[in-house]
Amino acid sequence: MAVSSRLSGDDKELVIRIDERFDFSLHQQFRDTYNSITIRDLTYTLDLSQTEYMDSSALGMILLLKDHVELYAGKLIISRPSETVRKILEIAQFQRLMTIE
Amino acid sequence: MPKIQKLALVVDDSKLQCKLLSVLLQEENYRVVVANDGESGVEMYIKHQPDLVLMDINMPVMNGFEATRRIKKLSGVNTLAPLIFITSMDSEEAFIKSVEAGGDSILVRPFTPKVFKAKIKAMQRISDLVDQVKNLQQQQQNDAELAEKMMSGVIEARNFALDKIGVIKKAATIFSGDIQLTALCPNGDIHVLLGDFTGHGLRASIGAIPVTETFRAMTKKGFSILEIVVELNRQMFTLLPGDLFFAASFACISEHDKSAYIFNAGLPDGYLFNDSANIKKRFTSTHPPLGILPKLLPDAQLDVVQVKEKDRLVFITDGIVEARNQAGDLFGFARFEKSAKDGITQKNLVNSVLKSLDDFCQNSEQEDDISLVEVPCSGWQEIKLSKNVTIPEGFIEDDYYLGTTTNSSPSWSYHLYLTGPLLKTINPIPLIMNQINDLEGAGEHWQSLYTILTELFINGLDHGVLKLDSSLKDSAEGFSQYFNERANRLSQLAENTLNEKEDHIRIALKYFPLLHGGKMVINIKDSGQGFDILEVMKNNSIARHDGLKLSGRGVELVNQLCDTLEYQEHGTLVTASYIWKN
Repeated sequence: MAVSSRLSGDDKELVIRIDERFDFSLHQQFRDTYNSITIRDLTYTLDLSQTEYMDSSALGMILLLKDHVELYAGKLIISRPSETVRKILEIAQFQRLMTIE
Repeated sequence: MPKIQKLALVVDDSKLQCKLLSVLLQEENYRVVVANDGESGVEMYIKHQPDLVLMDINMPVMNGFEATRRIKKLSGVNTLAPLIFITSMDSEEAFIKSVEAGGDSILVRPFTPKVFKAKIKAMQRISDLVDQVKNLQQQQQNDAELAEKMMSGVIEARNFALDKIGVIKKAATIFSGDIQLTALCPNGDIHVLLGDFTGHGLRASIGAIPVTETFRAMTKKGFSILEIVVELNRQMFTLLPGDLFFAASFACISEHDKSAYIFNAGLPDGYLFNDSANIKKRFTSTHPPLGILPKLLPDAQLDVVQVKEKDRLVFITDGIVEARNQAGDLFGFARFEKSAKDGITQKNLVNSVLKSLDDFCQNSEQEDDISLVEVPCSGWQEIKLSKNVTIPEGFIEDDYYLGTTTNSSPSWSYHLYLTGPLLKTINPIPLIMNQINDLEGAGEHWQSLYTILTELFINGLDHGVLKLDSSLKDSAEGFSQYFNERANRLSQLAENTLNEKEDHIRIALKYFPLLHGGKMVINIKDSGQGFDILEVMKNNSIARHDGLKLSGRGVELVNQLCDTLEYQEHGTLVTASYIWKN
């Protein structure tokens, strides 16, 4: 499956992982991974290590996730983007808006 | 409303079977046409365009599989006339072959009339759904076409100097909404915008209209490019939903100032090429796209570069560098830069990039809009000096023709006194121009006045209040140093609230209506230490004499536009008068 997510046993971290292409077609799936989660102070880690390509609608989807995270006072981390994906994040200057590691 | 009667085509070599099926179909409110072999079945299909086809397998001349293949080829992907094989061949092979030939279903004899009718209904339901999807698709297509027409025909056709600007605009199959705008500032500068809305379909174009309106209106009123960016960001933040934003590059090209001001929010690098096709500078994105943050980041700043006559500025959207070939490779920056350089050498950048892109992508499907703007840094329209009245020898103010006397008092006057932090945050010139437009109506002649006011105000601010040395601007390094230092001192000005009373600029206008025109007297006083007027004048005239183009281009321009220009109080007060004729 292109989108997978796992909530840690102690309810502290939600890891969302995207495989291959992160684009508009994942819209619903991506939303479903976090939409029903209302735990406060949760760390949301978006694992992009397996993502080969990302388009601008994916950037939009990340912004929606960010809105959700802020609503529940959580923290958003973008984790290990590949070189291509990092470039796209940089052009959009997302490092100014969230943590990218 | 009576239901429109549908048409069925029955292809079977047995006349009895044809008769039987026809009766059942008629009971289901179908009209029926009949063919007795595959070949005439295909002919009947072409002639009647039926809504449903029933096909036997074993027939003379042409069998059912072949006839089906031909019919399906004719009907294409867009229309679905369901085709059902009616056969007594109850074998796995027959079933598979019928599907492979393009049949939508198979019904094996013997069957009861009830089973037959149920089958017909089920098939009809599917074809109705296909019709519905098709209609929706068509509707969406129409919407996208409308949006595109609106963008290119209505919005972009009104761009300034279309003949001078190189443009690539290739919309993808899925319309995604790139926008290219150019507009002329009151002082003859050019504003350029290349933007890319995220998202697809009509959604992506809703922002285009407000962006265009704001960009044009603010440019016309004389707002700076950064002020326009601030406003557009605010607008897009309010207007666009959370996952939609607007990546854009902006430029203000000032020909008389020989400089360009660039802001890149979320687009790939922009370029400044020189005449020998070298990249003089890249403009990297320094800010998230517009519409994400309620306000621009506090350190948002323009890139300032010195430009030469033959330089050209090039902006692209990600569609170019992310275009793919059959093998899935990206076109990328290296290929783009090479094609752009080749293009400059061949004097046609747009063609060269397009050709290189076509050669690379061959027939791969285009995924995103591809856009580029190429703007020359000179050759823009001359600032209209002709608006100036030519003053005959011995002209004095109470010239009878203009119908005024030296003692006449102004019909109105306007004063603005700006202190400390406000000098950083407020651009007074659009405010003043608005007032003038409200009082005296709009007019072409305000263009020159705008330039005079801007130049004199900037001089007072930069050299008076901020104490910047204009000779810095003479070299390329000094040029950016100058602008960095300027930004620095402006921030200090904004923070240093203690000095608030001391740092100021006073602008005063007096308006004298004349019989055939009018006269504006402008006073600008700054809190600086002034300068040695004679020394500067001397230097400037030496520089002119030697053919050197030093700083002070602004004053020179103002001098040409004004009727009188005079510095007093050690250079801290400047008085200019501007007369125009109707």
